Amino acid sequence: MGGKELAEKILQLFTSELKVINIGLDIFSDALKAQGVDVVQVSWQPPLKLEKEYEDVLSKML
Amino acid sequence: MSKASNIVKRNFHRDSVQLLHLSEEAKRIDGVKDAAVVMGTTTNKEILEKLGLLTDDGRAALESDMILAVIADSQALIAKAMQQIEEMILKPPSVKGRAFYSVDAALQAVPDANLAIVSIPGEHARGVVLKLLDKGVSVHLFSDHVPPEHELELKQYAKEKGLIVMGPGAGTSIIGGKAIAFANVVKRGGIGIVAAAGTGLQEVSVLLSEAGLGISEGLGTGGGDVKTRIGGMMTLQSIDALEQDPATGTVVVVSKPPDADVKQAVLDHIAKKTKKRYVICFVGPQSYEIPASVRARVTGTKTLHAAVIEVVRAADPTRHAEITKQFVMSGNELAAFADGISKGLNEKQRYIRGLYTGGTLAYETLVMLGPMIGDVYSNAPLDPKLKLADSYRSVKDSIVDLGEEEFTVGRAHPMIDPTIRKMRLVEEAKDPEVAVVVMDFMLGYGSHSDPAGAMLGAISDAKKMAARDGRVLPMLAHVCGTEQDPQSLSEQTAKLRNAGVEVLATNALMAIESALISRRGKITTSILEGAYKNFLEGF
Repeated sequence: MGGKELAEKILQLFTSELKVINIGLDIFSDALKAQGVDVVQVSWQPPLKLEKEYEDVLSKML
Repeated sequence: MSKASNIVKRNFHRDSVQLLHLSEEAKRIDGVKDAAVVMGTTTNKEILEKLGLLTDDGRAALESDMILAVIADSQALIAKAMQQIEEMILKPPSVKGRAFYSVDAALQAVPDANLAIVSIPGEHARGVVLKLLDKGVSVHLFSDHVPPEHELELKQYAKEKGLIVMGPGAGTSIIGGKAIAFANVVKRGGIGIVAAAGTGLQEVSVLLSEAGLGISEGLGTGGGDVKTRIGGMMTLQSIDALEQDPATGTVVVVSKPPDADVKQAVLDHIAKKTKKRYVICFVGPQSYEIPASVRARVTGTKTLHAAVIEVVRAADPTRHAEITKQFVMSGNELAAFADGISKGLNEKQRYIRGLYTGGTLAYETLVMLGPMIGDVYSNAPLDPKLKLADSYRSVKDSIVDLGEEEFTVGRAHPMIDPTIRKMRLVEEAKDPEVAVVVMDFMLGYGSHSDPAGAMLGAISDAKKMAARDGRVLPMLAHVCGTEQDPQSLSEQTAKLRNAGVEVLATNALMAIESALISRRGKITTSILEGAYKNFLEGF
């Protein structure tokens, strides 16, 4: 994409009402809510670390 | 007799801010003298050790383990407290409003989402950000430690899709007038900011807002964007967007010195592809060449302070002096102010100690102090030879960035958690050679709800400690915030002034003032004039 088309979606972001997905620290959700922004929170957890042998078995099954 | 006890929960994860809240809650349990709930990182274990909160059980914890630490007067009290803490950590984190447990579910529920903030551990960011970009969502990527090859991939993909990835390591953005992550409540207006330096964006936007000029958009790109490997991809894209944005009249580009090729690419891009008024702020000791053809509309600066002055000059040339009066103190005024403070010092007291939470502000201070006082040590120095051997111990003149990795792995940033700075201030007070302590206080969304108030105990302890030793310990502060911030600039300033801390209007003025106090009378008029010319205005 060239300069003008490239900036178009970003320009839309500046002028549209923000609809935010916050993934991680919930203080950022709280801050946006306090500013009247529409926000949903994703409570993210790290993927479980499996023992290598279980991982191998699972990867064959899936 | 007080006793410390630890319980280690294997492979148990909460994010750093949740842990900070859990620690605060744990300290309030009846009978508990001190407590902490942390991940078992080296930094956290060192801090627990210093607080007398670590036992052999905790020492053996791994980074993926959680340590519950308590000090209380009896085994019975410890057992009771631990039981309560165990209940607290098992409660799922409370979320107000709608919450999801997967990005896919959130994307399905909000198909018209246009922005995401991602603050998960950096090694996991790639997959999450790709999913968001696929659905047309721009991303503010707060996470650090994103592998460089992932950063490149994500930014290339964003560029293809016409979207923006701010970060990794983007602390601050202001979009459509809303503060994203660590950002202040600033007036809206015609100044657009592109920043590869988070607290740089905060200082510039706050000072412009206080000067009555508003901000259209503030786009944080993260420091990695101006490295050769990324080539300034999002910086250039942000410049293009602001160039086309009808609400933006003047653009400020803020960064620590980019890699040489990126610096040239940004300057060339501005010279050839833009028409608006630009103020470039590559915070650093070196000048750089503004192409001759655009010098009438493009100004270079070396500090955040100078960038603000030049933006005001460009935006309102007739009222420039009047508007910037609040940020400007003459060399004579600063020197007289310094004399008043330094006359109480004894002759051994000759060094500056800077305890910063804002990385760009720490850097600005390093840039300015060099030509005035010579070598300055730091955990993030300008010259690698001046790197502190131990970030926890200051040497001679030292400026410490407490937001650097060694202080933050597995902990909340010092803009949220004052613990490390409180401990460090008391340490500095023990050193009879310290002449003056300088500190920044970052307000705004995301930051601590009362950063000045949180330091008052440590400020008072440090001053008392010096007094017992027959010394005074002057302290300078700069409060980076606006009256409209949740913490209120005037309230935070008043708290510090009531505690005997001198508050300066900009970080740059604080840097000059600290040099004048510590070197009493040894900074000649020509050095001072040089600092003013080099660092408080543009070229």
